[in-house]
Amino acid sequence: MDYISLAILGCAVVTFIPRLIPALFIDRLNFSPKFEKFLNLIPYTALAALICPGVLTVDSQLWYIGLIGAVVAAGLAWKKAPLGAIVIITVVVLITVYSIVPFF
Amino acid sequence: MVLSQLTKSVICSAKLLFFFFYYNFFGVVTISRKAKFIDGAKKGIPITFGYVPMGIGYAAIALKAGFTPIQTISMSFLVYAGAGQIIAASMALSGATAIAIILTNFVVNLRYFVMSTCVLNQVEESNTPLNIMAAHVTVDESFAMFSLSDDSSIWIYLGIAITAWLSWCLGAAIGVVLLDILPVIVTNSFNISLYALFVAILVPSVKESKQIALLVLITAVLNIVLSQVLGNWALIASTLIGAVIGMNIVDDEYLLSGDA
Repeated sequence: MDYISLAILGCAVVTFIPRLIPALFIDRLNFSPKFEKFLNLIPYTALAALICPGVLTVDSQLWYIGLIGAVVAAGLAWKKAPLGAIVIITVVVLITVYSIVPFF
Repeated sequence: MVLSQLTKSVICSAKLLFFFFYYNFFGVVTISRKAKFIDGAKKGIPITFGYVPMGIGYAAIALKAGFTPIQTISMSFLVYAGAGQIIAASMALSGATAIAIILTNFVVNLRYFVMSTCVLNQVEESNTPLNIMAAHVTVDESFAMFSLSDDSSIWIYLGIAITAWLSWCLGAAIGVVLLDILPVIVTNSFNISLYALFVAILVPSVKESKQIALLVLITAVLNIVLSQVLGNWALIASTLIGAVIGMNIVDDEYLLSGDA
């Protein structure tokens, strides 16, 4: 087996195991209310950590590109636009920004 | 004559058999499961807007690193880890060893342990095989979308997550065919789409609760600081530390999912 296939299979195994463990044991576990609260908070903190600082590296040369996108998306979400529309409009805005940037 | 009658009876009994199995083994429940799955699949569509282009981007790097088309697509199918795959392909491109690639993937993808636990703690109507299926298709986006919704059916989750998974594989397949015909500006603009999705999922909760907003801000700053120090470990560290901080600053009433 060549080295890339080996790397892919290895990655598949080490990625699947952490996902699999909760699937095998979740039914046998009874979490305390405190731990339930901890688990319920994780979506918020995980999203915060996924967005920051990653969003600033969308374009490795122009950090503000990602910031513009995030602000546009946040504004649309604040006005309760549907999810799909938010994604599409943000992409269109960025394509527009990219076509304006060379003029500065 | 005989032949046509034979064919007729074969078709007839096949139909009977089909209905027998359909109604006895799946029954009416199938219809509602199917409806939930389709409902979930529709909810997952915004994820595909980000996944197809990102999958194309991954394929471009993988092919450059010497992956065959089959390897490129099967990695998306088997590993299914957005950032993890792109990092793996970039490492292969720069000549890293298989061991280094696998270890880095382990660290980068360890966050799925946390996400899988959250999702599986929330789902109902499930069993172990369904849990295992759900675990494999758990990624940042499916986890975020489901855990901040009121839904609790495993079928809705599978609808969302399998749509995302297939669109990620489709992206890789398109990438293999198209190579990098797409202009850089377009692919860069699509890079924002997943972040737009994250922001859009998070904003309603932030709007509703100042406590959640504060927690999000603290975690964001924490992650900016920690990524300078911990590198790939930062994301999982800030997520867990943030949640511990949140236990002290967020009142129970603001938490969406409750025990669902």
